[in-house]
Amino acid sequence: MIRDVLHLIGVYTKTIMKSWFQYKVDAVLRSLAVFLRESTGIIVVYFTLLKFDTLNGWNVYELLFLFSLLFVTYGIMILFFTGLRDFGGTVRNGGFDRYILRPRGLLFQIIFVNADWFAAIGHGGLGIVLFLISASKVGIVWSFDKAMYYLFAIFGGVLIQGAIFLFLATLNIYLLETGSLKELFYWNARKFAGYPLSIFHKAIQTVMLYVVPFAFVNYFPAQYLLRKEDMAAYPEIFLYLTPALGVAMYLLAYVFWRFSLKYYKSSGN
Amino acid sequence: MKLTPYLAFAKKSFLNRSAYRFNHFMGILNTLVRIFIFWCIYRALYGERNEVDGITMAMVTTNFVLSIGMDALFSINDYYLPNRIGNGSIATELLLPISFKGRMLFENLGNTLFQLIFHFAPALVVCVVTVGVLPPVSFGCFLLFIISAVLGYGVLWNLSFLLQTFSFWLLNMWSLMTIKNVFLNVLSGSMIPLWFMPDWMAPVMNLLPFSSIYFTPVQIYLGQLSAKEIGTKFLVQMLWIGVLYLCGNVFWKKGKKKLVVQGG
Repeated sequence: MIRDVLHLIGVYTKTIMKSWFQYKVDAVLRSLAVFLRESTGIIVVYFTLLKFDTLNGWNVYELLFLFSLLFVTYGIMILFFTGLRDFGGTVRNGGFDRYILRPRGLLFQIIFVNADWFAAIGHGGLGIVLFLISASKVGIVWSFDKAMYYLFAIFGGVLIQGAIFLFLATLNIYLLETGSLKELFYWNARKFAGYPLSIFHKAIQTVMLYVVPFAFVNYFPAQYLLRKEDMAAYPEIFLYLTPALGVAMYLLAYVFWRFSLKYYKSSGN
Repeated sequence: MKLTPYLAFAKKSFLNRSAYRFNHFMGILNTLVRIFIFWCIYRALYGERNEVDGITMAMVTTNFVLSIGMDALFSINDYYLPNRIGNGSIATELLLPISFKGRMLFENLGNTLFQLIFHFAPALVVCVVTVGVLPPVSFGCFLLFIISAVLGYGVLWNLSFLLQTFSFWLLNMWSLMTIKNVFLNVLSGSMIPLWFMPDWMAPVMNLLPFSSIYFTPVQIYLGQLSAKEIGTKFLVQMLWIGVLYLCGNVFWKKGKKKLVVQGG
């Protein structure tokens, strides 16, 4: 059983890599373009902080560290959840009906039959570069505990975003078009997430904490490692919630997914 | 040149836009979110200070509202020509007894008019009520701002057209356009007000057309430029339009020839 699953994952991954890297120059250019597009915000922060030194007590390296968590988690997440990102299209063009007919788990197929390598390399690569630039300059004394914390935080951050993707994908079963909802709830929230939570209006903070909890993807993990003064506004427990929240959100999204599958109606005839 | 068919194209693209309501509201929300994030960042950066280098918080806010607003207003379809080359419909469209470039421009103008009424105006009202926007310093400055904004649109349109003509030779237009947008976002003032650009960036800014698109109109609106400086800036804008237009034309003509050869 396990061998069969691993074998299938291997075959899928090989095919995906083949299709994404078929045109090598194109693959390099696209990854580079994603990398540069995502760097825009970083370049802007860098220039801005040359003038202003700190943003609510955060210096430029601390902000880069905050950004790096966002990009690393997205880079890993998109390798697994590309199928959920594009799930609306899969439902509309009937691809999902084919999955249903195959003798394997639906979510298994969605997760492993596609992976956007350009996005993964672009985002993940940028995350790693930012981490390498900032990690030694923000005064973190790396120990075993902190490294473990970091890994668990990444794991939690990936699951939180994966759960949001799974939740939004599930909505496709009820509504045919959810691109705008994703824009509203995921991408707009993510735009705020690059900056310290404390600079925003209370209403935005509430959204980032309890509705689309991006604050737990990068802000609180960064706070645990950096301990900036603006942490005083939030309960200490928030520093430790990321992995648990990730698992809980993912399980909830999964239950919603299983429940909703019963109501699936094909878009075709 | 008769204008009627082109106006029909403008009208068509205007009406096309009214079909997708929910997406349209999302677009406005997007613009507001962008403005709001930068407002929050600069509010935190300014803290207790009233001004930094003679620039007040209200000026920074106005810069973001106007340049992000113009960004939404000008929204040019960078893939107009690439899509038509990709699916081959360019061949029949070139046979029509109208100018392809003229049609392209007017379809975009129709879209821009739609954006002005249903995107820019409501977004501006929300911004005036929430974050606050400075009024133009005088009616004269406001008129000059409009002229400068139209010239800025000309710069951006011709820049986009020049890059689009590369699709006669390149397949991967997405990467090219994405990289253009990185430059546009960083150097146009819509993400960092150009007053705060480090001094060593000045030569880069002067050698590239990006500051002529949104920032020149904003400076005029805020009354930061003397009459003489406004004259110079207008000349710079027109110079960029001229240069980009001529380059675009060269590639357009060469590309069309190549296309004919390919078609046999």
